Amino acid sequence: MANRVAIVGIGQTYHVNKRDDVNQQEMVGEAVRAALKDAQLSIKDIEALFFGNMETFEGIFLPDHGMAAEVGAIGKPGFKVNTGGTTGGSVVVEGFNMVASGLYDVVLVIGFEKQDCGDTTAAITAAAVPVWAKGAATGAIGEFAKQALAYMKTSGAKEEHAAMVRVKADKGACRNPYAHLKLGLKGIDEVLKSPYLVWPLRLMDFCPQSCGACVLVLASEKMAKKIHKKPVWIADYEVVHQEPFRAGIFGDPTGTETYTQHVACGKIYKRNNITNVRKQVDMAEIYEPSNWEEMNLYEHLHFCEGGEGWKLIEKGITEIEGEFPVNCSGGVIATNPIGATPVIRVAEAALQVRGDAGEHQATRDIKTAIATALGGPNWTVMFLLKRNT
Amino acid sequence: MAEQPAKKQAKEPEYIRLKFNAPRPYHWSTGKYLGHVYAEAKENKKLIGNRCPKCKDIWLPPTPVCPKCKVDMGWDWVELPQTGSVYQYTYLVYPLWDPHYGEKWANPYPSAIILLDNGVFYRHWLEEKDKEKLKDGMRVQAVWKEDYDERGIGQQDILFFRTIKE
Repeated sequence: MANRVAIVGIGQTYHVNKRDDVNQQEMVGEAVRAALKDAQLSIKDIEALFFGNMETFEGIFLPDHGMAAEVGAIGKPGFKVNTGGTTGGSVVVEGFNMVASGLYDVVLVIGFEKQDCGDTTAAITAAAVPVWAKGAATGAIGEFAKQALAYMKTSGAKEEHAAMVRVKADKGACRNPYAHLKLGLKGIDEVLKSPYLVWPLRLMDFCPQSCGACVLVLASEKMAKKIHKKPVWIADYEVVHQEPFRAGIFGDPTGTETYTQHVACGKIYKRNNITNVRKQVDMAEIYEPSNWEEMNLYEHLHFCEGGEGWKLIEKGITEIEGEFPVNCSGGVIATNPIGATPVIRVAEAALQVRGDAGEHQATRDIKTAIATALGGPNWTVMFLLKRNT
Repeated sequence: MAEQPAKKQAKEPEYIRLKFNAPRPYHWSTGKYLGHVYAEAKENKKLIGNRCPKCKDIWLPPTPVCPKCKVDMGWDWVELPQTGSVYQYTYLVYPLWDPHYGEKWANPYPSAIILLDNGVFYRHWLEEKDKEKLKDGMRVQAVWKEDYDERGIGQQDILFFRTIKE
């Protein structure tokens, strides 16, 4: 059995569309310092560092190249991982594995993206060789438009429900000092007036391009309690792959095939004896690039029965004051620095478990939380965090 | 100690300038299986997929290994019907950058997932641009590029799918 691993330090930058005041390494350095400060450690205490970044979004393929000095990696082991949208999840997994294996006691996992350097949609369009599906590529937006259509058709959800999810996200983002888009939405009408990007996705239905970084300090059981009064344990995780370039992209467009979320959460729930998610888990920070996808994920992560995701938002269950809060931070639709995004999901879930989320702390007591990452080619990375294990 | 630069040079140095402006295209390979799909499209205006020996599912794009059964697919090809029903469609409202061409891609044709008449899903464009006339379930048929020399680029050997009345 693997050694237990805890999150003992959390740091992130504020997130914004452009950071002309810093370069990539300076921006990442801000989050590294914040995480070390939270853990009350010095860089000298860190044994290894792991980076997560969607290179080429910055227009270069070695963004970690000039970063070793700024983040304190000189003379230390570590490497960068890139797994598309799930990058930040994969880098947390990597850090976890390194500590769980007993190789290291204290490591840093670093997720970052500085999207003002390049064009993300262009980079996604160029993610695969264009010998197949050339021209069908519409970046990530087109794929989520199709997903929204499929969801509308199978569940009977209306545009109003998607708008409710958007308003909920904005409420969280406005309370979160690190969030990017803080729109101050008063109601769903403002969302429904937003222009279409790719029908039926509106400008407000989709995540922004953010610059930012998020860093976690992970520690072994031996060190965790010495470092932090409130260590948050990574109780379990799962990674599931999917072939992304088949007709339906997100699996069979009929929605009848097993999605990676089904597989990932099925394994995690089984191993942890979770039979009723909303009763046995207290909240979730999920990777929802669009509001439509959030309702879809409620179902695919078994927060409710199939076809009922939109009812959770209609009843206010996933609101910050609700019975099962989802994305109190404002989520990906408010803040999306790609390589950092899933690290932020884990970080925000951990802050909720610690009770340190401040103004966007959920009303109910959070002892157990789920965090997910989504994106090709390893489609779902999922974590289960606990206050006590 | 670095040498002090000369205060003033008698003559400006002459540089040789060469302007490099040749295209440097990428060369992506289709591979053996997808290459066969390309060849059938170019030579015979046929749409094909390969069939798993175990589960008999047909895959397009073709695959050397069945994603479900994880067995070698062999070389069992099936011609697919070129008519089908629109399962789902969307259209771009906001043009997007395409780095492979260095330009904004603003294809006016709606993008669709088409359920071919043998039950295989296929992604392509629809000829019908009038949003009022777009409907799920509408019957469509592939329209090929007729000029042999213009074909040979895979999926785009088909121009789009045209609405048909039956």
